[in-house]
Formats: sequence, structure tokens, C-alpha cells
Amino acid sequence: MSELARTNIHEYLAELEDIPGTRVYTTKRARQGYWLNQFAMSLMKAKNREAWKADEAAYLADWPMTQDQRDAVLARDYNLLLDLGGNIYYLAKVFSTDGLSFLQAVSTMTGMSTEDYQDMMINGGRSPKGLRSIKEGT
Amino acid sequence: MARITVGIGTSHVPAIGAAIDLGKTKDPYWKPVFDGYEWTKTWIENEKPDVIVLVYNDHATAFDMDIIPTFAIACSDSFKPADEGWGPRKVPDIHNHADLAWHIAQSCILDEFDMTIVNNIDLDHGLTVPLSLMFGQPEEWPCKVIPIAVNVVTYPPPSGNRCYGLGEAIARAVESFDEDLNVQIWGTGGMSHQLQGPRAGLINPEWDQKFLDNMTANPALLRAIPHIEYLRETGSEGIEMVMWLIMRGALGDNIKELHRHYHVPASNTAVGHIVLEKTS
Repeated sequence: MSELARTNIHEYLAELEDIPGTRVYTTKRARQGYWLNQFAMSLMKAKNREAWKADEAAYLADWPMTQDQRDAVLARDYNLLLDLGGNIYYLAKVFSTDGLSFLQAVSTMTGMSTEDYQDMMINGGRSPKGLRSIKEGT
Repeated sequence: MARITVGIGTSHVPAIGAAIDLGKTKDPYWKPVFDGYEWTKTWIENEKPDVIVLVYNDHATAFDMDIIPTFAIACSDSFKPADEGWGPRKVPDIHNHADLAWHIAQSCILDEFDMTIVNNIDLDHGLTVPLSLMFGQPEEWPCKVIPIAVNVVTYPPPSGNRCYGLGEAIARAVESFDEDLNVQIWGTGGMSHQLQGPRAGLINPEWDQKFLDNMTANPALLRAIPHIEYLRETGSEGIEMVMWLIMRGALGDNIKELHRHYHVPASNTAVGHIVLEKTS
């Protein structure tokens, strides 16, 4: 059982892009988002959080990110940040500094109010039905 | 001789740690989450493990984008709970069985599982929340802990098959360690959850329960599950369940399910928990 069929990397990567409403953190996104994520990581330090809160734009100017990435951070547009190479565990440093929980921050990506999102979770969460594959519509 | 006796699977949701730390475990929202761990808390007091090999993932805490080890084993004598941005959890320091950790590292590498050896790292909720769930709020953790960190953040994570094989290699390593030790292995993370994008909040209880069933019924099926199935069926963060397969792989063929718990939700996540005893 230790021998499984060898994975075709191109098919593997194509499948990762076939999931509705999802940005899998691939090596391509990791490269694109390297500085965006490292900026977010810097907020793990209290001293950096103070500087960030004092002047967000000035703080971002010190990081070699794209202007799109800077603008999306300032706007807290988390879906756009995912498209620009952000990863949720790094972006969590930004929303935690804002005082938001995972549930509150995650809800902003769904088009639902936080209350409606929390109610959905309490009622069993979002069904995978129809959300498994863009191509297949399943 | 050291021996692995038990495998435990559990979610490691950070909000669970916060609920414990803030004394909210009896709140109506949280009570059903914690009730399912009461059996294990009582049972483990009698089991008295000497060492836990605790498989978890770091969530951009000790490792950032500069170093991304697929499998890392932490070998220093002790560790602090990490400051994840709002101050470290007020839980005891974690003490390693460093001799066994180094032994597992060298044994696994000779067994062709090329572990990254790390020493001075802080441990985040992925490791401390499971300890709190099983042991409550003690002054000191009652046993030694060997942290094994798996990359499940940057794709590709290791395959389920590779994780299962690493579990088998860890079992061989433990069995060749010449000290009489009762060792448990814990696999943490999961179950279904997605923390990103418009599809966030995805939960799939049928799939999750089948995964728990197959821990005993058909582990060969579990090791063959491809990444894309975790993503499609259990959400983008459900991939953490490959870490449960390291636990399962370390237990061998003959096991018995002692306890199971499943609840939706804790924050964005389906909580799953299983206790598996090695029977031969």
C-alpha cells in the first residue's frame, strides 16, 4: 500500500483552481504574497503593532509589496488579499490586531453579516453541495 | 522498551483554547464541545502516559515564509507557549523527552523519512489546545511532549500516504528506544472547516464521520485520500486531517475505538475527537 499512482503536477494544480470560492495557497501564491505575508507576520511583535496602528500607510511603505497589496490591506479586503497571494494564517495577524476574531474576519469574505454567518455555523455550517467543483457544478 | 499504547485524534481550534482560558466552558455555546472530552479526561488520569508524540501544525507562528519544513521534530528540553499576537496562553511550559525526540529524529531519517530537526521554537494553539482539552488546567502538564510539526499551510502538504508511513516509522523508532515508557501519539487539527473566501464555513459531517469510522474499519482507504478530496469535501483547512493519519499509522493493524465525539460548531469548525487503543 506504500505505492500510490504518481501525481501529475499539472493535473494536481488545475484541480486546486476548480473549487468555488476558494484560493488554495499554492507555491505560486506563496511567491506572489511573500512580502505581504511577511509584513503581516511582523505584527506578531507588540512594538510593530504600535507603529502599525500609529500610521498604517507609512508602515506599509517600508515593505516591498505591490501597491495593490498595500491598498487591499488598508481596505481590509480579505478576498482580494487572497487573490494577491495572502494566506489566511498570516492575514490573521492583521485582523487580530484589529481586535477581530477568526469568525468575525472570516465572515467578511462570505458576503454575509457576521450574525448571519454565525447563525449558519450554529445551524450546521455551509453544505458542500454544489460547491465541490466549478467545472462539474457539484 | 518504549511502546505506543494509544492514539488520540482531536481538533485544535484556537477559540477552544480561549474558551478554556476565559472560563467559558459551561456556556451554552461551548458546553457541548467540552462535554465530549469529559470521558477522555477521566480515562487519561488512569492511563498516565509518560510521553505524548504530539502531531500538530504551526499556524504562521514559529515558522513564517522563510522556513517551511514539511515534517519537523522539536528536540530541545522545553518550550514556551507562543504569543500569537494577543499574549501567550497562560498554560504551563511544555517539557520534552529530548532523548526520545532525538532518537525518533535519527531513526526516522535512517528509515528514509527526512525530518527537519528544530530546537528553540514556541508552540502555538495547534499544540497547546489539545493538551488543555485532555488535561484541563494543571499547574504542570502531567507528561513529556514531543512536538512534530507538519506543513499543512503552503501547498503541497505531505500526502496522506506519506503521513501514514511516517507514523509507521515513528512507531518503529519508539519501539527501538531502550527505556520503559508508555507513549501516546496524538494527531490534531480538522475536522471539516474553511477559513477563507466566499465558501468559508463549509462543514461536512457525513464525510467527517466516515473518516472517523475508517480509522478502525478501513485505514487503507484513508491513506489513499488525495488532497483534492479533502479540499472539495471538507474545506480548505480540512487538509489538517492528514495529521491524524500519522497518529493512525503509528498504531498498527489491531486497534479498538474507545471513545468518539463530534460537534458542530466551534467558531468556524467541526470538532472531532477519537480515542484509539492498540490491542496487540
